[in-house]
Amino acid sequence: MSLRETLPKLDVELVDLTESFCCGDPVKSVNEFTANFLAARILALANQTGLENLLVPCNRCHFTISEAQDTMKNNPKTAQKIIDLLKEEGLQYSSNIKIWHTIDFLHDSVGLTKIRKAVKKPLKGLKVATHIGCQIIRYSDLGRVDDAENPRKLDELLTTLGVESVDYPEKLDCCGAALMRSHIDSALSLAGSKLKAVQKLGVGGMVVSCPDCQLMFDARQKDAGTTVGTKLNVPVVYFTQLLGLALGIDEKKLGLQLNQSPAEELLAKIQS
Amino acid sequence: MARIGVYVCHCGLNIAGVVDVTKVAEYAKTLPDVVTAKHYTYMCSEPGQRLIQDDIKADKLDRIVIATCSPRMHEETFRKAVAEAGLNPYLTEIVNLREHVSWAHTHEPEKATEKAKALVRMGVARARLLEPLQKRKVSVEKSVLILGGGIAGIQSSLDLANAGFKVYLVEKAPSIGGRMAQLDKTFPTLDCSACILTPKMVDVAKHKNITLMTNAEVTGVEGFVGNYNVTILKRPRYVDAKKCVGCEACTKVCPVKVPDKFNENLTERRAVYVYSAHAVPKIAIINPENCLRLKTKKDVCGKCQTVCEPKAINFEQQPESVQVKVGGIIAAVGSEVFDATRMAELGYGRFKNVISNMEFERISDASGPTKGKILTPKDGKTPKTIAFIQCVGSRDKRFHEYCCRVGCMVTLKQAILAREKIHEPVRIFICYIDMRAFGKGYDEFYRRARDMDIDFIAGIPSEIHGTPDGSLHFDVYDKGTNKLLEIHPDMIVLGTGLVPNKDLERISSLFHAARSADGFLLEAHPKLRPLESAVAGVFLAGACQGPKDIPDTVAQASGAAAKAIDLLSSGEIELEPLKAVVDKDLCSGCRICESICPFVAIEMKTEKVKGEERLRADVIEVVCQGCGACSSACPTGAIKIQQYNNKQVVTQVQAALNETCVEGGK
Amino acid sequence: MSLVDLMSMAKPNLETRDRVLSRLKTKELVNCYQCIKCTSGCTALKLLELKPHEIMKLVNLGFVDELPTSDIIWTCATCLKCVQRCPQKASPYHVIIALRNLAVEKEAKVPETYLKIVSQILETGLAEPPQKIVTKKMETVDRECLQLPKIKAPKESFQTAFMKAMEER
Repeated sequence: MSLRETLPKLDVELVDLTESFCCGDPVKSVNEFTANFLAARILALANQTGLENLLVPCNRCHFTISEAQDTMKNNPKTAQKIIDLLKEEGLQYSSNIKIWHTIDFLHDSVGLTKIRKAVKKPLKGLKVATHIGCQIIRYSDLGRVDDAENPRKLDELLTTLGVESVDYPEKLDCCGAALMRSHIDSALSLAGSKLKAVQKLGVGGMVVSCPDCQLMFDARQKDAGTTVGTKLNVPVVYFTQLLGLALGIDEKKLGLQLNQSPAEELLAKIQS
Repeated sequence: MARIGVYVCHCGLNIAGVVDVTKVAEYAKTLPDVVTAKHYTYMCSEPGQRLIQDDIKADKLDRIVIATCSPRMHEETFRKAVAEAGLNPYLTEIVNLREHVSWAHTHEPEKATEKAKALVRMGVARARLLEPLQKRKVSVEKSVLILGGGIAGIQSSLDLANAGFKVYLVEKAPSIGGRMAQLDKTFPTLDCSACILTPKMVDVAKHKNITLMTNAEVTGVEGFVGNYNVTILKRPRYVDAKKCVGCEACTKVCPVKVPDKFNENLTERRAVYVYSAHAVPKIAIINPENCLRLKTKKDVCGKCQTVCEPKAINFEQQPESVQVKVGGIIAAVGSEVFDATRMAELGYGRFKNVISNMEFERISDASGPTKGKILTPKDGKTPKTIAFIQCVGSRDKRFHEYCCRVGCMVTLKQAILAREKIHEPVRIFICYIDMRAFGKGYDEFYRRARDMDIDFIAGIPSEIHGTPDGSLHFDVYDKGTNKLLEIHPDMIVLGTGLVPNKDLERISSLFHAARSADGFLLEAHPKLRPLESAVAGVFLAGACQGPKDIPDTVAQASGAAAKAIDLLSSGEIELEPLKAVVDKDLCSGCRICESICPFVAIEMKTEKVKGEERLRADVIEVVCQGCGACSSACPTGAIKIQQYNNKQVVTQVQAALNETCVEGGK
Repeated sequence: MSLVDLMSMAKPNLETRDRVLSRLKTKELVNCYQCIKCTSGCTALKLLELKPHEIMKLVNLGFVDELPTSDIIWTCATCLKCVQRCPQKASPYHVIIALRNLAVEKEAKVPETYLKIVSQILETGLAEPPQKIVTKKMETVDRECLQLPKIKAPKESFQTAFMKAMEER
């Protein structure tokens, strides 16, 4: 929701794909070919719109579609099979689509200057811990959104909003979302450990760039806390939710009421 | 009509095991102009050679074809044998039945035999057209230029100087000594590095046959083997070398402080400084990029000049360019240490207590930043736990694939030094992938480390964490115990590897010396010719050819010096005649060959031909490698490679394609 | 018979090993020299005892049969740290995905959720169908009241293509 509200305010027109489909990420473990097919299908659907830039707001989807694009480019046998399957649905694959994530699209394409200028309500006084996640910074050879060991784009975006990002040793730790499909306790433990560390920092909240990570830290925060034996009270928001606040958009439009974590406490920390 | 003798070698079973050598010899006998065709087990052996020599005399042979292993193996051997029998050695043709037939087609003996016959046919066709050639002699300079004043350059210099050769030793830094001068102790004996190095450094400075140029760089190399013209740029010290006594009064008053590279930036030096405690020459130097007066070109400061009693400071000193003539060059420019900031997950550059092995060496050295006490860089405390992590930047497809060869021994040495120097209880961990202790006394050294209760963890960590209070920790899985260990070291020493010198690109292009895929200078042959580059007269010594320890460096340095002596001691060298020659009548002076020659072996000369003054190509025989590029590019066919002219090559092609086509003496 | 594991009497299965290798983009699996970096940094090691270096060695030696039927290959959190940092670019993650695919083929112990997701995608095109959620303030919310775009059911042509893709080995 916050993505749809904020990007138009930065002169970006968002066009929905004609159909909503799974990128194939969970299918990778079952049948990698099918996963590549589903991801390539997304690129084919993007091709249908006639546009060349695909915005993927989720880390896992971004990784899956990027790997599929790489396979289509470097594995001609697989590529041909997928192209043939897509033809049966009347879809055409295009290798010209540039795959963006929310973070690098805002940082590199829209640009920090433009965002800073568009900010109406700087979120001064807010200190946060960022969690950029795993699959958009690794693995570098594939060409990812940010540096694998020292990702700074999300932190720099936050400074344009007047927010201070705090460094901490657990910054690159995984949220555990992938394990929700098979080892729920371990998944929640991973999320809980990270939230515990963030809570100790005493910051205003945690900012994520992936809905799957948000699911772990935000929606499942209570369960995560139980798993690690700590009462967790960390506001967790997706970056564009904060962006929306800084652009002066009403919090209801940014979906903050849907966050399961105490996002309202974060709002309180922002000096008006 | 030629009288050709064909000799087919069995090469034991190497050739005969696949090729039917009897059939090949029989076939050769059927070729026109072939007077005798024989086969024998080992043609290169004494009886084999005598067989050829006897036949030359008995059958009055004037061309010899030997079907055997690669010419790179025994062409010289056979040429010598033929010459001894009174025939011009260049009338010998080698046909390769081993690398090109039996080794390539081991599983197809019939086809291999047919191919062998075809190759012999081609060899015979060419043999008919071979011409007798003579080697030429050229005089050489009995002097050598050595680039780099580390232990390799120092060793080569002394060996050459003691053998009576004139040596020009050019060192980029203000002092010689190189990396070895930065070391505390050396493995596996724990000799004090400075103690074994400085006597040699002083010998170099004092030797009457060595001209030492420090703060200097080679900027140009022209000429050819035995006759090089080298241009050396002597950068100004802004200090009069004849007046300075090395008292360091100037350094005490200089207001500018900058990181000291000799101490791996762990301390600061002044803009005017003496390079190190054991500097040779012990003369001050002003860095013009740091000095306020030289940087701004204004009349400011000058405090050093005021306090200098011998009046040695000279801000007006100019760079000086000198030219020297040398017969050979030894490249001994050493290597650099891997920049561990590139491996960001280890926190080098982010955490002050994560250091490189070179930084540890400076800390351990009595003349270093902590006067030899092992103290953590961040807070100057004695560490209670030290962790060493191996293979940083080496054996890694992301950075350098090669093994740095010295990393394991350096870490063992540093771990042992830490154990010896720290008198309080301290736990020392070495996280490794493999322990490579291959040299003389090296595995005993490894055992010595284990005797000192140094803990070895078979596994390396993935990332290093630093907490805001400055403490470090990392997880590492140990293969030996199958445990995931969490270690909280006060200091982490990274086993950073040796990497090619940044200057190598410029230096290698100075002499057209190639570099191998790993970036180091390329030797002529990895096993049989490791001391020389492929360029005649340019030798290699030390880490610039590949990472190595001090024993190997000194051995290679002495070897390179011996090679140079070998080349130059007689005062002249013999040149192979398989070079390009220009038919001046056909040359139009178009200069295409000049532009194509990769060895810069062609120059244009104005010559009088048939009464006219015209520009003609002229081949510098000494430099020409006989590659043939000029010959194929020449539009008039004026320039040809001796023994490889068009007719000689085309006849081989015709012989290959057409079984019955026989040129026969035409 | 040149190799046997005396603890389990298992023998290597080089055919299956080759199948695993053929599924990988590159052959660097064989370059693994057991530096253990992957395991040292593995997200799933502490809680689930996943040792990527062990899996690499087992596959390299050919002891592949025991892996698709084990639970351990499903413990990977797909954080990709091992892919990022391996000095030989051997990527244990990709090997684990290949083993998971093999497990599905053999109809071994595949966590239910994955199979549920596959049938979900076949039916709805999405891994999980859109749901109604309850906020902290006990309000029930769905896509319509949030004015989000409608989600259509997939066409039959998609389902056919999807089923065909699932046949690929």
